[in-house]
Amino acid sequence: MLNDVTPKNRQLTNFVKPYEIFSTPYYKLDFSEITKTFCESRNCKADSTSSLRVCKVIIVGDVSVGKTSIVNRFCRKMFDTSYKATIGVDFEMERFSILGIPYNLQIWDTAGQERFRSIAQSYYRNSHVFIAVVIIVFDLSKPDTLLNTRKWFFDAMNTCGDMLPYVFVVGTKKDLLGGFAYKTAELNAVNVAKSLNAEYWPVSSKNGENIDLLFARIAALTFDDCIKNEKARSRPITISNDIVSFKGRKGVYNSKCVNC
Amino acid sequence: MPAKEKSLEEMQEDILAQLQQLKIEEELLQDEMNNILTQAPFLNEKIKNLKKLLPSLKIIENEAVDLVHTINDISESSEQISGKIRALDSARSRVDECQGRVCDLIDLEICSQGVQTAILDADYEKGAAHVHRFLSMDQFLLQKTATDVENVSNTLKSVRTLEDAASQLRSIVEHKFTEAVRNEDLVSIERFFKIFPLLGMHDVGIKEFCMYLRGKVAFAAEKNLKTAITTPLSDKRQSVIFADTLTLLFEGLAKVVDVHQPLVETYYGPGRLFTAVNILQKECDIQVRRIFNEWMKSRQITTKMQQINETNKMSANSSFGKLERIDPKDLDILIGEITLMHYRSELYVRFIHRKVLADIDVGIPDVKNRDDAMNSFSNSMKCSELAQLKHELLSHYLRLEQYFMEESINKAVAMDFVDSAQQTSSMVDDTFFIVKKCIRRSISTGNLDGICAIINTACGVLENDFCDVLRSKLKQGYPSGYLDLTQAYNVLQSSIQQGRLQSGDTEQSRTAFIVALNNADSCTEYVDALCESVLKEIEQALPGMNANEHGKLESCLSGLSSVTSNLKDIIDYGIQQLRSSVIKPRVNPWVDAFLNISHQFTEEELSVYEAGETFVQTLIMNLESLLSSFRDVLTESNFDAFVSALTTEVTQRLEKVILKSSFNGLGGLILDKEVRSLASYITAATSWSVRDKFARLTQIATVLNLEQVSEITDYWGSHDGALTWRLTPSELKSFMLLRTDFKSEDVKRLKL
Repeated sequence: MLNDVTPKNRQLTNFVKPYEIFSTPYYKLDFSEITKTFCESRNCKADSTSSLRVCKVIIVGDVSVGKTSIVNRFCRKMFDTSYKATIGVDFEMERFSILGIPYNLQIWDTAGQERFRSIAQSYYRNSHVFIAVVIIVFDLSKPDTLLNTRKWFFDAMNTCGDMLPYVFVVGTKKDLLGGFAYKTAELNAVNVAKSLNAEYWPVSSKNGENIDLLFARIAALTFDDCIKNEKARSRPITISNDIVSFKGRKGVYNSKCVNC
Repeated sequence: MPAKEKSLEEMQEDILAQLQQLKIEEELLQDEMNNILTQAPFLNEKIKNLKKLLPSLKIIENEAVDLVHTINDISESSEQISGKIRALDSARSRVDECQGRVCDLIDLEICSQGVQTAILDADYEKGAAHVHRFLSMDQFLLQKTATDVENVSNTLKSVRTLEDAASQLRSIVEHKFTEAVRNEDLVSIERFFKIFPLLGMHDVGIKEFCMYLRGKVAFAAEKNLKTAITTPLSDKRQSVIFADTLTLLFEGLAKVVDVHQPLVETYYGPGRLFTAVNILQKECDIQVRRIFNEWMKSRQITTKMQQINETNKMSANSSFGKLERIDPKDLDILIGEITLMHYRSELYVRFIHRKVLADIDVGIPDVKNRDDAMNSFSNSMKCSELAQLKHELLSHYLRLEQYFMEESINKAVAMDFVDSAQQTSSMVDDTFFIVKKCIRRSISTGNLDGICAIINTACGVLENDFCDVLRSKLKQGYPSGYLDLTQAYNVLQSSIQQGRLQSGDTEQSRTAFIVALNNADSCTEYVDALCESVLKEIEQALPGMNANEHGKLESCLSGLSSVTSNLKDIIDYGIQQLRSSVIKPRVNPWVDAFLNISHQFTEEELSVYEAGETFVQTLIMNLESLLSSFRDVLTESNFDAFVSALTTEVTQRLEKVILKSSFNGLGGLILDKEVRSLASYITAATSWSVRDKFARLTQIATVLNLEQVSEITDYWGSHDGALTWRLTPSELKSFMLLRTDFKSEDVKRLKL
């Protein structure tokens, strides 16, 4: 599975911009210099250390807001109108190639029902090994699901511990709303996202609007961090003759990315 | 006129040639003519013969014409025959049909007569058989036949009687059935159950019968639940009494399905189990819900959950929120019960699935219909109360198990005990025992999501809580005992002030440090072993996993194995601590002793030096005493890491002191010897190769051991004998300059 060639639309060469610049707390607009130089140097050489770089994406949100539909649209290019409740957690792996380097998004699609809460929670719990992303999904046509995003957010934050994941607030079923109704919904959503310090995206799984962009954005953001962390870790430990100072290494211990 | 002559000659030749040719032709013609002439008599003979044949030919022609006529006649007549046969055939089938109709009519008569007597005699089987016969007739045809027959009214009457009888029988059978149910008359229940399909009441029959079974199941379940509630606390099954009750319910249901499936199949045909199971499932749902509620009440699940949630919140807010924690031990049995309950439900669901799907597979031939039936069944099972309760059980289980794991590990850490005979402390074994136990228990739920969730939790606990404990122990450092004076004085002062100057104090914290380091190391092994065994066990417990589920599991397990990288960091950190507090302060003075020895030996001095205790002997002795104090207390791989750190330190320091000394030829020889013996000593001390660490040092020794400056070309360059140098050209030159007998101009002139 891993040897497949990455399809064209999963190859990123440029950084992906947020949906609207005012709707994001992540102001990064391009890959950092570290990442760029790293990737360029890697491109020349053969990909010797093909360690798997993985980012964990957890999708949460109320019942039937369309979490699974997003995943289905993104991973399988299909849309099914019939509702089928997710049991427990579903899992998908999606390959990207960013600046010529393979990168994987591991997407965990959770069930919205209360009785699956503990299963979903266990997934945020160990997610700090990777750079993690939490996508909180709400239904643009149902305002109360937007209000519940706050609950989901705190749920995630409580169980995450001291790490800070990227948070995205994603409004689904954009195709159902038109004109003015959408404008108001968006205004509210942007405000909520701001208060949660999260990035807002409106999508439609039915016609596929923004779905690929959203995941590409996620991949680009996390990839950059991943490479930066890797560089910070693998900095050669120069053995100097004076007493070894531990200050330099402490920061490394606290960094969240170990495996990437 | 030579030309003319010539042409004349030529002409003569030509003519001669032509003459020759003509002659040849003549001969040929002659031959041919001879041939033909010889053939003439034969031909004549033949012509004669043919003349004789002519009259018979005519006869043949006439006969052939006759034959054609005959064949035509035959074909015509055969066609006529086949037409007749066809007519006959249809006539026969009509007769057959007619016979059937007559039979039907006769049967109708018999049935209509018999049915009434049968009903009167309460011989319902017979009556039902009559009705069944009647129902199997084509009603439309019957009507038509009736109109053809003379006594129309008679037939119609029979039909009407039979229809009446059928409805009468239906109501009677239904009535009798309910009565039998009321009287618990098993024989009549079964009797009437068999009659239903004869009357074309398949669905009603199954429904009624299942309602009856439902009642029975409900009754049994009620009784079981009552006994469960009234079971005395002292009973030894009390701890799993609800799981037992649930098991009894499921077993009862399974038995019902098992016993009655052949019955249904024989009398109602395959493909009907689905309806029956749907009805039974409703009762199952009700009973399961009741047992669940009773269980919640009696085991005080809600309060426990609340307490756990509060403790969680407390510990998040303040570290000493010691309200009233539930002892994880108390939860152990409860968790066991939940897993049992969940597992039983899972087994039951699987059993029903298997039964029904097999039945549908046989019973419904059409592929599309079959898929529809399967889907609708799966959906109804998915939406059933049982499925929901299973999820609720799992959710409770996960909360409790998580709490159990966290608290037990906390306890194990708190009760940590160091056995001097062992390199590690009890904490590691205990923790991994707990983790393994929890994961094993999650496997026994039979639900992959549950297993993954517990693996994730275990991963989180190990990575955060457990690693933090190890790290914080290592952060306290290894008391070296070689503090410099001011530091020692300060420590002494503060210790005296606090009145806790005990010699065992440093010893204790040393052991604690070493044990923590060893713990981290053995944890890495344990994690790997855990991953492997867990994967195996899960594969055994859930044999039918698809690729996606496998991926899910593997990704969770990879999270677990990534704990090792955290542990490796911790070990690294510990070794660095040891290096700065143990290795450096001791090794430096030992190596610095090198400076006390002048490396400009005369032959005499050399023999004196070698006779006495050489530098390297002292160094090795010191190193040996240092290493031997750690050899037994550290685990093997930790010891290797320690030796590696030591080696780095020694070689670097030695390199430095070499730079501060100066050598003559003999001095270089001695140095070379000493480096070799040092390297061989350290190689012997560890299981892992140190050659690499010594590369620079051996090369320096080689450089200093040269006879002449020019000899370096034997080693430097790109020819066969050259070494792969770890020294830069300028470094090499500066080392060469340490030789007092080398002229510095020669060295500087070297082109490297």
